[in-house]
Amino acid sequence: MRSLINGSVLDNRQIAEDIYRATIVTPDIAGAALPGQFINVYFPDSVKIFPRPFSIAGAEGSNIQLFYKVIGSQTELMSQWKPGDPVKILGPLGNSFEIPAPGTEIVLLAGGVGAAPLLFFRDRLYESGVKPKFFLGARTQNQLLLRADTKSELTIATDDGSCGSRGLVTAVFYEFLTGIDSPLTVCACGPDPMLKALKPMLENSNLAVYVSLEKTMACGLGLCQGCIVKNAGHNSSGDYSLVCRDGPVFNLRDIDFNA
Amino acid sequence: MPDISVKLGTKLTLTNPIMTASGTFGYGDEVSDLVDVNQFGAIVTKSLSLEPRVGNPAPRIAETPSGMLNSIGLANIGLEAFLADKKPFLAALSTKVVVNIAARTEDEFITVIERLDAEDWITAYEINVSCPNVKEGGIAFGTNPVVLKKLCEALRRTTKRFLIIKLSPNVTDIAKMAQIAEDSGADAISLINTVYGAAIDIYSRKPKINTVIGGLSGPAIKPIACANIIKVFSAVSVPIIGIGGICNGEDVIEFILAGATAVQLGTVNFMNPHAVGGIIRYIENYLQQQRLGAISDIIGCFER
Repeated sequence: MRSLINGSVLDNRQIAEDIYRATIVTPDIAGAALPGQFINVYFPDSVKIFPRPFSIAGAEGSNIQLFYKVIGSQTELMSQWKPGDPVKILGPLGNSFEIPAPGTEIVLLAGGVGAAPLLFFRDRLYESGVKPKFFLGARTQNQLLLRADTKSELTIATDDGSCGSRGLVTAVFYEFLTGIDSPLTVCACGPDPMLKALKPMLENSNLAVYVSLEKTMACGLGLCQGCIVKNAGHNSSGDYSLVCRDGPVFNLRDIDFNA
Repeated sequence: MPDISVKLGTKLTLTNPIMTASGTFGYGDEVSDLVDVNQFGAIVTKSLSLEPRVGNPAPRIAETPSGMLNSIGLANIGLEAFLADKKPFLAALSTKVVVNIAARTEDEFITVIERLDAEDWITAYEINVSCPNVKEGGIAFGTNPVVLKKLCEALRRTTKRFLIIKLSPNVTDIAKMAQIAEDSGADAISLINTVYGAAIDIYSRKPKINTVIGGLSGPAIKPIACANIIKVFSAVSVPIIGIGGICNGEDVIEFILAGATAVQLGTVNFMNPHAVGGIIRYIENYLQQQRLGAISDIIGCFER
């Protein structure tokens, strides 16, 4: 059940370079949220009029968690949130990651602040008795959302080698893959180039790859039809899907990144 | 309590002057869990064409100062899917349903209207002759006086239903286009559709929407809409439905003073899906404060 309500900030702090974690009290949304879903945050701004979508990074009791990188005036404003501040939010929106059937191993793969929805999924997997492998990449150690984790088997890669392996997280992940011949579900979120780099994996029929996408959205509700992604050739449900309504989580086989 | 109902001529009465703008509220069912759709005086559906249309490629939208650019390209499910999938929800509404129609040809408009005329739950048609984002049809019908006259006359011969012609601001003289629509039998004029706009990313040097030039909406265009309402109000006697950047109750009153009998909420549905409730309360409070008995008392009543 979606709600458009005023939540309130419980906690908001910087946890990495330009990256903040906010905890917001919003019982209705926290109770309904599933990993992979997102919320819209509304701003009292008559110049920048779109709400901003954020993946839900955790939901516990009455609270949800967001991780956000300060990249513009809206996230700058968010970084100034103080406990008790009201926040107008709509959610939970979109579809979710699904826990695979027993016998299929699950691996999480994240780049930068794209780790947000996968942290929530990791929580739910851990609660269900699964400790997933979690590959996390960032430019430097200062931009990592996690350095260590008790709920997953964490492998870190940084571009500059300041933490974990040096280089792209996808490279570390491909190394791991070469030793795998059993069914595997990969859930990934990160910058577009990282997700595009996963496309060759689809040649391995043992792999199912789910990606969480980010697009500019005006509404988040399927009204404006702005946030399209092209369907892959075999997908018969029209030429485009809406990231807000049909996603943000897609089977990588169903979408065409090159369009 | 003051009277907020409005009469669009003699043929159509709305419980209040607030409608949805086509393409900003889907078919109403998408958000019925969040918004009481029956609060609106009427729902205007996403532009409907005979066959489904997939719409334009990405990117389709961009945020611009106090507005948005779009180039959706009339993406819609087509007539048959509309009647199969959307009718159960729309026909059960207590509010009125206006079907917005877009077509590539006059014949396509007529075919769609003839089929919809059999559906008694539809109150009116709004004819989109003003979409800036498609190659065929769209704005081509609404910018040439000869073409507009021929189309409006043909549609008037086709249906007895309430007929609204939705006009573009991207013309030299919108009042002339409104007169043509009125003379050809239109029951009301709605205006404005989006204003031509463009934006370029200075780093990639690429346009921010796929068609380079698209349609600008949102509060940025409100004064343009207001000016066009004023121009058209002095040129026609059929009712005007004002559209363009309305965000709140003050904006609605402003458009009604300018000459609108009803208004449509567009981009604000994205910025604030709950806008309609607050707007209706504002109008009632305004009328009470101003000691006015009815909203219809102030249509076109700005001081010159």
